[in-house]
Amino acid sequence: MIEIIPAIDLMGGKCVRLSGGRFDTAKIYSDNPFDMALKFRDSGVRYLHMVDLDGARTGNPVHIGLLKEICSIGGLTVDFGGGIRTRDSFKSVLDAGADRVSIGSLAVTRPEELADWITDFGADRIFLGVDVKNEKVAYHGWQSESAIGWQEFIGSWLAKGINRIFCTDVERDGGLKGPAVELYQRILLQFPGIELIASGGVSGPEDILALQEAGIEGVIVGKAIYEGRLDLPIPLLPEVKVGGGQKVRSPTPPAIGGLAKRIIPCLDIRDGRTVKGVNFIDIRDAGDPVELAVRYADEGADELVFLDITATIEGRKTFPSLVRQIAKVLNIPFTVGGGISTFEDAVVLLEAGADKISLNSAAVNHPEIIDKLAKSFGNQFVVLAIDARETLNWEVYINGGRVPTGLDLFEWAQEGQERGCGEILFTSMNHDGTKHGFANQALARLSNRLTIPIIASGGAGKPEHFRDAFISGKADAALAASVFHFGDIPIPELKKYLYQEGITVRLK
Amino acid sequence: MEIVVIKYNAGNIGSVSNALGRLGRSCTVTDDPERIRNADKVIFPGVGEASNTMRYLKDKGLDLIIPALQQPVLGICLGMQLMCSWSEEGDTPGLGIFNEKVKQFSRPVKVPHMGWNSIQFIPDGIFKSLVTRSYVYFVHSYYAEPGAETLSTCVYGSAFSAALYRDNFYAVQFHPEKSGEIGQQILKNFIEL
Repeated sequence: MIEIIPAIDLMGGKCVRLSGGRFDTAKIYSDNPFDMALKFRDSGVRYLHMVDLDGARTGNPVHIGLLKEICSIGGLTVDFGGGIRTRDSFKSVLDAGADRVSIGSLAVTRPEELADWITDFGADRIFLGVDVKNEKVAYHGWQSESAIGWQEFIGSWLAKGINRIFCTDVERDGGLKGPAVELYQRILLQFPGIELIASGGVSGPEDILALQEAGIEGVIVGKAIYEGRLDLPIPLLPEVKVGGGQKVRSPTPPAIGGLAKRIIPCLDIRDGRTVKGVNFIDIRDAGDPVELAVRYADEGADELVFLDITATIEGRKTFPSLVRQIAKVLNIPFTVGGGISTFEDAVVLLEAGADKISLNSAAVNHPEIIDKLAKSFGNQFVVLAIDARETLNWEVYINGGRVPTGLDLFEWAQEGQERGCGEILFTSMNHDGTKHGFANQALARLSNRLTIPIIASGGAGKPEHFRDAFISGKADAALAASVFHFGDIPIPELKKYLYQEGITVRLK
Repeated sequence: MEIVVIKYNAGNIGSVSNALGRLGRSCTVTDDPERIRNADKVIFPGVGEASNTMRYLKDKGLDLIIPALQQPVLGICLGMQLMCSWSEEGDTPGLGIFNEKVKQFSRPVKVPHMGWNSIQFIPDGIFKSLVTRSYVYFVHSYYAEPGAETLSTCVYGSAFSAALYRDNFYAVQFHPEKSGEIGQQILKNFIEL
């Protein structure tokens, strides 16, 4: 959800708003800024943007006392600016309890000074204001226009560590003309990692929605709140249309730059049919891997794994044609494994449409198959599946966990990486089937030692287990079978849970 | 409408034609210059290694055909990287359709960049009717730096180009054919350009 950040602009101890940045347009909205802040806090607001207009005019902050009072309310993340031209006044704002100091003109006129403060106080204590006028950075209450374009300006401060920026399109502020969505889109396209706060031009809830859809972190709102065009708290946002024409509640775009942790259901196939029971309510044929695969994809699975556990050679011949059917209907990546013993076996499955193949016993018996497949079709094509059991150390087993090899899990995984596999799928035989959680310690050791992604497998029973595999196990993906097949953990609920736990996941 | 998927010595080209099939479209997979030139839409997919693929394109004369195409062209993954000016992979000069250079990811991020990541874009053109920061599926170890032709960005360690655009040329680093409904919409948008 986009953060609504009310602006408290102070002039003569009162709460005012300017239009177009001009002091002679000041309109008084409240005689008591403290009560106003309290009211905001009580209506669910978490951030406050305070501007000392008297300070901006005189070159020295005037309302530090008021800032201190408002910070003492608690529950509010406050930034404060206006007239901060010296290190002492910068420090006085932080000492009064503000989380960040908002800086505008100074970044244009005396960048070396600001750079010093970044070194001394930290870039995370600065809230950089970028006022844009005709693509250039404006300053001094917008009365002056610099020769610097916003691209160069933002880029240079980003390089110094500043990551939270509020941006105003000067022409739109205080005019209720709608926010500068197009400008913000271009800024985010160029600097996708920044926390961009929109400022100015908001006239109602539909503007907030447009900003949210553009990926804006938060929005500073003044006049629209004070004139009653925007009630706090903001009610649930209206539904919007997304791809395919279906209507959904406007999704909050995730923070950019997070490779999502993957959730991978695994389907065991025997003679072309899924083995384990499935209790999806409206599925026609629980044994049909194709129908099941599509269903998992629709539910939000990030990838699928199909393991052929067919015992007879005759039965195995049906697998490539099944893979071909899956490739036709499935719009997410999938891995196939089980019974791949030669280079040629893998090629048949590649040509049938598999994105990746997983090698297990064959890789132990003939490790050079990893090199050959990786060289021919790329590292991403080869998943090295390792079943291991912990006794004194972690020993690798093959042939479906029946035959110990004497190989050490970590050394074998390392060798697999060196030979060119793109991922490790590690199943702990100690944990598999227990539903007591993944082998997080071993996973973390693998993850620290290797540079390729690690898929956790074996032991999933509860959503918390996935969280732990991602956090303490440092896994990049987690695979499970029965908890998904029997509906113990529906994938949409699992994703939602992980999201709430602060883990980056792809929400549909 | 004739949609041509350029055939070459790498990659899982079948997955692109499967994705088109899910949109109710058929396509021709070919390296025949005449067929490519006459197509309404050209898709240049790819998974593989840059220098070998570039050599193959040269052998077939495709290194001259592709940059001269006038109809909408969509490069995917390695296809996009080869449309750039240069790739660090095998120190390979590209087709030069885009000015951007292609570099290798390095630690601390895991390589390859594999999985679903969110991308920033303006919802227009091939991204029409999508919501920015949608998740798409990536598998790559090399990336195009952000530049003037960047149409979409992603962050992995640092910002890189998730999509490029110039004139009739579009290119995406991710795999729309493997990116669920979002990817299907992107392919549909491209076909309907």
